Amino acid sequence: MSQDQTQQRSVFTDAIKLSRDTGGAVAKGDVILDVKDLTVRFWVGKEWFTAVENMSYQLKAGEVLAIVGESGSGKTQSSMSLLGLLPPTGRATGSADLKGTELVGMSIQELREVRGNEISVIFQEPMTALNPVYTVGFQIVETLRTHYLMNPSAAKERAIELMRMVEIPEPEDSFNKFPHQLSGGQRQRIMIAQALACEPKLLIADEPTTALDVTVQAEILKLMRQLRERVSAGIILITHDMGVVADMADRIIVMKDGQVVEHGSSHDIFNSPRHPYTQQLLASVPHLAVGVDDSELAGPPNTVIEVEGRPVPLSSPRSDGEPTLLMEDVAIVYPKQGRRPEFRAAEHINLRVEQGEVVGLVGESGSGKTTLGRAAVALLPVREGKLTVAGHDITNASLKELKPFRKTVGIVFQDPGSSLNPRLPVGESIGEPLLLHENLKGAELSKRVEALLDSVHLPRSMRNRYPHELSGGQRQRIGIARALALNPKLLIADEPTSALDVSVQARVLKLFKELQEQYGFACLFISHDLAVVEQVSSRIAVMHRGHLVEVGDTLDIVTRPQHSYTQRLLSAVPVPDPEEQRKRRELRDAIIEREHIVS
Amino acid sequence: MSNDQYNDKNIPEDADRIEQALPDAPPHDTEIPVDTNDAGEIAVERPTQEAEDAYGRGEGVGEEMEVQGLSQGQIVWGRFIRHRGAIFGLVTISSVFLLSLLSMGIGPIPGLWHVQDISSGDVVNGGRPSLSIPGVGGATEFAIGPNPFGQDSLGRDYFAQVMTGVQTSLLVAAVLGVVALTIGVTIGSLAGFYRGKVDMALMRFTDLVITLPVIVLGAVLGALVSRLPMRIGAGPELTQSIRENMPVLLAVALGCILWTGLARLVRSEFLSLREREFVDSARVAGASDWRIITKHMLPNAVGVIVVNGTLLMSAAVTLEAALSFVGFGISPPNISLGFLISDNQGAFSTRPWLFWWPGLFIILIALSINFIGDGLRDAFDPRTKKIPSPRAMAKAERELAATRVNQQSKEATR
Amino acid sequence: MARFIARRLALALGTLFVLSFLMYGLLEFALDPLVDLRENPAPNRAELIANRVRLLNLDVPWYQRYFMWLGNFVQGDFGLAWRTMQPVGRLVQGAILTSIQLVFAATIISILLGVTIGIVSALRQYTTFDYAITFVSFLLYSLPIFWVAVLLKQFLAIGANDYLQNPTINWPLVITLSLVSGLFWAGALGGRRSKKIKVFLAALLVTLGVFVLTLSTGWVENPTIGIFGVGVLSVAFALGVTAIFAGMNNKRALYSALTTAVVGTIIWWPLQWLFHYWEMSWPWMLGLLAVALLVAAAIGWAFAGPDRQISIRGAMITALFTSVLIFADRVLQAWVPYNNAPQILGRPLATIGAETPGLAGDFWMHQLDRATHIMLPTMALVMISFATYVRYERGAMLEVLNQDYIRTARAKGLSERVVIVRHALRNALMPLASIVPVDFITLIGGAVITETIFGWAGMGRLFITSLGGQEADPVMFYIMLTGALAMIANLVADFLYAVIDPRIRVNA
Repeated sequence: MSQDQTQQRSVFTDAIKLSRDTGGAVAKGDVILDVKDLTVRFWVGKEWFTAVENMSYQLKAGEVLAIVGESGSGKTQSSMSLLGLLPPTGRATGSADLKGTELVGMSIQELREVRGNEISVIFQEPMTALNPVYTVGFQIVETLRTHYLMNPSAAKERAIELMRMVEIPEPEDSFNKFPHQLSGGQRQRIMIAQALACEPKLLIADEPTTALDVTVQAEILKLMRQLRERVSAGIILITHDMGVVADMADRIIVMKDGQVVEHGSSHDIFNSPRHPYTQQLLASVPHLAVGVDDSELAGPPNTVIEVEGRPVPLSSPRSDGEPTLLMEDVAIVYPKQGRRPEFRAAEHINLRVEQGEVVGLVGESGSGKTTLGRAAVALLPVREGKLTVAGHDITNASLKELKPFRKTVGIVFQDPGSSLNPRLPVGESIGEPLLLHENLKGAELSKRVEALLDSVHLPRSMRNRYPHELSGGQRQRIGIARALALNPKLLIADEPTSALDVSVQARVLKLFKELQEQYGFACLFISHDLAVVEQVSSRIAVMHRGHLVEVGDTLDIVTRPQHSYTQRLLSAVPVPDPEEQRKRRELRDAIIEREHIVS
Repeated sequence: MSNDQYNDKNIPEDADRIEQALPDAPPHDTEIPVDTNDAGEIAVERPTQEAEDAYGRGEGVGEEMEVQGLSQGQIVWGRFIRHRGAIFGLVTISSVFLLSLLSMGIGPIPGLWHVQDISSGDVVNGGRPSLSIPGVGGATEFAIGPNPFGQDSLGRDYFAQVMTGVQTSLLVAAVLGVVALTIGVTIGSLAGFYRGKVDMALMRFTDLVITLPVIVLGAVLGALVSRLPMRIGAGPELTQSIRENMPVLLAVALGCILWTGLARLVRSEFLSLREREFVDSARVAGASDWRIITKHMLPNAVGVIVVNGTLLMSAAVTLEAALSFVGFGISPPNISLGFLISDNQGAFSTRPWLFWWPGLFIILIALSINFIGDGLRDAFDPRTKKIPSPRAMAKAERELAATRVNQQSKEATR
Repeated sequence: MARFIARRLALALGTLFVLSFLMYGLLEFALDPLVDLRENPAPNRAELIANRVRLLNLDVPWYQRYFMWLGNFVQGDFGLAWRTMQPVGRLVQGAILTSIQLVFAATIISILLGVTIGIVSALRQYTTFDYAITFVSFLLYSLPIFWVAVLLKQFLAIGANDYLQNPTINWPLVITLSLVSGLFWAGALGGRRSKKIKVFLAALLVTLGVFVLTLSTGWVENPTIGIFGVGVLSVAFALGVTAIFAGMNNKRALYSALTTAVVGTIIWWPLQWLFHYWEMSWPWMLGLLAVALLVAAAIGWAFAGPDRQISIRGAMITALFTSVLIFADRVLQAWVPYNNAPQILGRPLATIGAETPGLAGDFWMHQLDRATHIMLPTMALVMISFATYVRYERGAMLEVLNQDYIRTARAKGLSERVVIVRHALRNALMPLASIVPVDFITLIGGAVITETIFGWAGMGRLFITSLGGQEADPVMFYIMLTGALAMIANLVADFLYAVIDPRIRVNA
C-alpha cells in the first residue's frame, strides 16, 4: 500500500484512494500506453533466451489492441512484463510508458499500486485463476480494498454492483459463492468484474475465452464489447483465435518467435495482410461455409432435428453395404459411484456412419460427444440400445469377443502429449496393434512401421524417438499412424486438432483428408469446432446435453441449421473476418431475442 | 519414520475425492452441476498438467532446449548425477558397503580384517579405540591399530562387530525393500487399475495395517519371528538355521508392514495414469489388462516406485535398529547396529565409543539412502526444471547489462 | 453432517474390530505365556502349567478366547497382566494420560515449528538457507530416535544440570550459538545483501547479549519473567502478530493487539494475589484463559475498524500469548523451592520418569516438575517428526506458489504479505490434513522408544514390557487404544479438511 496516500476522490465512489494514480483521468483517444523497444529475456540453462524482441506500440484509451500469435511467440510475456509479472528468470528492458509513468524497471512497491488499479488482467483459466478457498465476492472486495480505503459493507455494495454489471445472475447470492459453485462462464465474468473493480486505464485480457465453450465465449465477448463502450480503458487482447480478434480488435499486432511481424489496423490485416506469416496464419484458419454457391442451397435442407423430446431418428441408408457404425437408441451411463448418483452422459442416440464416410460430431464440453466416441471403440459399455461396428455387435460383448472387433477400429485422441506412452519409443507405440493382432515381430514389424511413418510424412528415423522429443503436430501424426496401423474400417477422431496451433492444425487436417482418401476408412470426427468439422466431413451430427439434436448434410448444417441450438452454436462461432463477424453477431442477437420471446 | 508421505504434494492421499472428476468433460469448464452435498466423495478438480507452470503457459519458453535426442533413462541419469546430495549419498553408501564387505567378508568367504571370529579376549588400554587421526584428540599421526573402534567389556573387537552390524543392516534394508516393494506395488496397482470394489477392499486392508505404528506391529512380528522355531516344532537343525537367518526373516516380516505408504502412492499414481489417453489407446489396440499394467502403466510409475522404495529402505535401517534396541529385533548370534547400541547403552559414561560407532554408521547409511532418494525424486520429476538461485540470477543480470553496454558503445562508435 | 460422521464412525469401529481380531490371532502365535514354566525344573511343573492354562483359558481355541476377551473388553474389563496379577484397567490408569500428554505436546510443537520453517524454506527456495534446512531435515530423518534420546539424556540434561551446579560461561558454545542464530535469521528474512548483513549482525548481537545477560546475572539459576518481562514480550508479540496477519497499516488491529498486551500486563499484579491466596488447578487455569480471551475479543470489537474480525483475531492471539506468559511466570516462581527440594537437590532436568515421586509442593511446583520431565522426551519426538513437516510443507507451499490464483493475487496489486498469508498459506495448509494423522501414529510409535529410554511409566513402555513378558491382555489394550487414537485422528482430520476446503464442505 502506498506510503504517500494521495487523497484523491474517485469518480465512482466516495472512497479514498490508497494507491496513487498516474497522469490523472483519461479521455477516449488519449495515448495511455507507449511501448518502445520492449525486450523480454529469460535465463535458460546458461544463456539469455530472448522471448520478445524490440516491441513497440501505442495504445489509446478505448481502443482494443490484439496481440496475435501461436504458442511460443512471446505474446503473453510481452504483456506480463508490463506488470512485472514475469517468472523469476525473466527480465524486461526497453520502455513502457503508462501516462507518464515508466513501468519497466519500476520498484515492486510502486508496481503494486499499478497492478489491479491502473492495469488489470483477465487470465485464461477462470477455474485456476480464482482462489478456491475464498468466495468470489471476497476476491472482488479484496481488490477494491487494496486500492481504496473502504469499509467492508461499502466494498460489498460496490462488488455487487460490479457483478451486476457483468451480468452475474442474482449477484447478492453469488457474492457468497465459491468459484467451484459457478460455471466456467460465470467465473470468467467474476474475473472481469474483479479486473474492472478499480476502473483501470489498461486491461490485459490473456486468452480470456480460450478455456470456454463457443456459446459461452460469444456471451463473454459480447459482455466485453459492451464494457468497452462503458469504460474508457485501453484493452490489450492476447489470443491465438483469429475469430476472437475479428470480433473485438481495432488494431492488431502479429507476433512470431518474439518478433512483431506485422502491425496494423484490423481492417488492413484481415483484408490485405502483407507479411507472409500473417498471410499463412490467416489462410490456416478454417472458415465456415466459404464459397458456398446459393444454387447449392436450392432444395429443402437435408437435416433431421429433435422435436419435443422425440429423438433424432436413424437416417436412412445411403448405400447397400452394411453401415460401419450403427447406433440404435443407444444410452451410455456412468454408474453410481459412492453416493454420487449415476449420470446419463448420452441417451436415445441414433446414428449411422456408412462405409468410407466421415461424419462430424459437434458439441460443447459436457455434451457427451467424447462419451459417444469412446463407446464406439468399446472403451465404455453401452447401457441401452444396440451398437454395431462393421458387423460386430459390441453392445454386450465380452473381452474375448471384442478381440476381433479391435482390429476394425482405431482412435486418435485430443491431447497428443498424453496419447502416447512417454516411456516407449514412438515406433513401438505404432507397432503395438500390429504386434498384438498380427503377431508381427522383428524386420516385418519394422517394415510396416516404416511404411506407416511414410504415410504420415514423418522421417523413418523418428521411430526411435520418444514422444517428448517430438512437437505437438508430430505427435499427432504418430497418433494417426498408430490408429491406422491395422487398416481399420472405422476411425474415431476425438478432437484431434484442438490442442494444436492453427497452422499445425491446417497441416494435420490436410494429412487427414489425404489419408482418408487413401485408406477409405469411415470416420466419426468429434470436435467442438464447427469450422474444422465442416472441412472434413460430409455429414454433421450436433450433440447437446447428451442428446443428438440435429443430424444432416454438412452444407445444410453450416448454412441453414434447423434446430435452435445448432443455430445458436453456429452463430456463436466467431469468423476471422471483421465485416462478416459483425453481421453474424447481429444475427445471433436476433436469435437470442427470438428465443427470449418464445420462452 | 515413514519418509514417503510428503511426496505426493498437493494431492491428498484419499484420492477417491479426486478420481471421480467427471470423465467426459475437460477439467476446466464443466457446466454439469456437481453435487456439493457429499463430503467424502466429491470431485476436487485436479489441476491439469498445463496448470503447473503458472507463468509460461502456452509460451513454451526454453522448451526446445530440453528436447534433444535423449531417452528418458538418460535424462533421469543426467539429472541424477548432477545432484550433489545424491552423489554424496552414492559414494558414502558404496564406501560403507565395500568397507564392511572387505573387512568381514561375506558368507563363507573371509574378509581381510584380522578379527574374523568375534570372540572375547584381553581388554587392551581399557578397550579404547586404537584409531588415531591427526588433529583429533591430540594424535599426531594416522594409525589404525589393532582395535580401531575399541573393544567392549569382554575384549571383543568392536570394529568387527560394527562391520558385521552394517552388513546385517544393509541386508535387512535390501530384503525389506524388495518385499515391501513387491507387496506395495502389487496392491497399489491392482487397486488403482481396477478401482471399484477391488480398490475398496485393498484400501480398507491398507488402512488396517496403517492404523498401528510400524514399531508396534514390528515388535509383535519380531516376537513372532523369534518364537517361530518353537511354533512350527522345528528340530534342532532347523532351529539353528532359522536362528542364523533371523535377519532375513525379520526383514520379510517388516516388509509385510512397511508397504502401505507405497501402495497408496502407487494407487494414486495409477488412478491418474488411467485417465491418460495412452492407456485407452493401448486398450483400443487390443492390449490385455496385464499388458497395460506392466508395459504401459508401471514404467510410467517407476519414478514414484523407485523414489519411495529408496526412502523405505532408509526407514528400514532405523526401524530395524529401533526394534533391536527394544529387544524385538535381531538377537545373538546375529549382530545388528541397533543391538550393539542397546547392548552397550549402560556403558555410555565409561565407554562412550561403544555407543558412538554403531550410531554413526546408522546415520551414515540412512542419510546416504535418503539423499539418493532425494536425487532420484528430482531426477524423475519432469517439473524440476533447473531454476537458478537468486544469486545466479543476479550474476546473469550483470552479464546482460555488460553485454548491452558493450553493444551500445559499439553502436555509438559506429 | 450427522450422516457423514456416523458413516465414518461405523467404518472406524469396523476397522477396529477387524484389527483387534487379527492382532489377537497374531499375538497368540507371537506370545508364549508358558515360557517360564517350560524350563522350570520344579517338581510340580505340570500342576503349575495346568494352573496357568486355567487362569488364562489357554485350553480354549484362540478365536473363542478372542470373543470372550472382546465381551469383557466392551464391558470395561480389560483383562489381566498375569505376571503381577494386576487387572489391566488399574495398570494403565496413570499411563494413558502420561503417554497422551507426551504425544500431543510433541505433535503440536512439531506442527507449529515444522510448518513455519517449511514455509519459510519454500519462500527462500534455492537459497543457502533452503539448502541448509533441507540438509538438517534429512539429517533428522536419518537419526535413530533411541540414539538421539540417549544423547539428549547424556548431554543436554546432565550437561545442563552440571552447569547449574557450577555455572561458568562456556564461551565457544555461546559464540557458536550466536553465530548460528545470526545466520538463521539472515537466511530466513532474506533480501539484499546489505539487509542480510544487518539482520545477521542484529541477530548475532541480540543472541549474544541475551546469553551473556542471562548467564552472567544468574538468571539461569533463578529464572523469572516478572511484570517487566511479561510487558516487553507481550508488546513485541502484539507487534509481530499484527505485522504478519493484519499489516501495520491496519491501525485499529494494531491498537487492539497492543491494548490487549498492555491490559494483560497490568492484570499480572492482581493475579499474583489471586494465585497466592487460592489453590489453583487446571479448571481454574482454563477458566482464566477463557476470561482473558473474552476480554481480548471485547477489546478487538471495541476498536473495530473496517475489519472487526481481524482486530478481534489479533487481540485474541495476543491474549493467548500473554496468558501463557503469565502462567509461565508464575510457574517459574516455584523454581527456587523446587530446585532446593530434597528430591531435586539442584539437578532440575529430569532424565527418568514422568514426575518426581513424593515431591511435596503446590500446583505450580507440580507444573514445573512436569515441565522438567516432559521436556527431553518431547524434544526427542519433535526432532523426528519436525523433519516430516518441514519437507511436506515446503513441497505444499511451492506447489501452491505455482498456482494461477497466486499470480492473480499478485496482479491485483496485493502486497507480498497478503499474497502469502491470505492466499497461499491457507491452500498450503490443506494437504496437512492427510499427513497429520499419519504422523500422529508415527509419534505414538516413537513414544514407545522414548518412554522406554526415559523410564516413563507410559503406555508405550507398558506395551514393550508386556510383550516381552508374554502378557497378551495389556498388549491388546495398548493396541485398542492406539487404534482408537488413530481413528480419532483420522476422523478429526477428515472433519477439519471438510471445514477448511469449501470444495468438499459438508452441508448440514
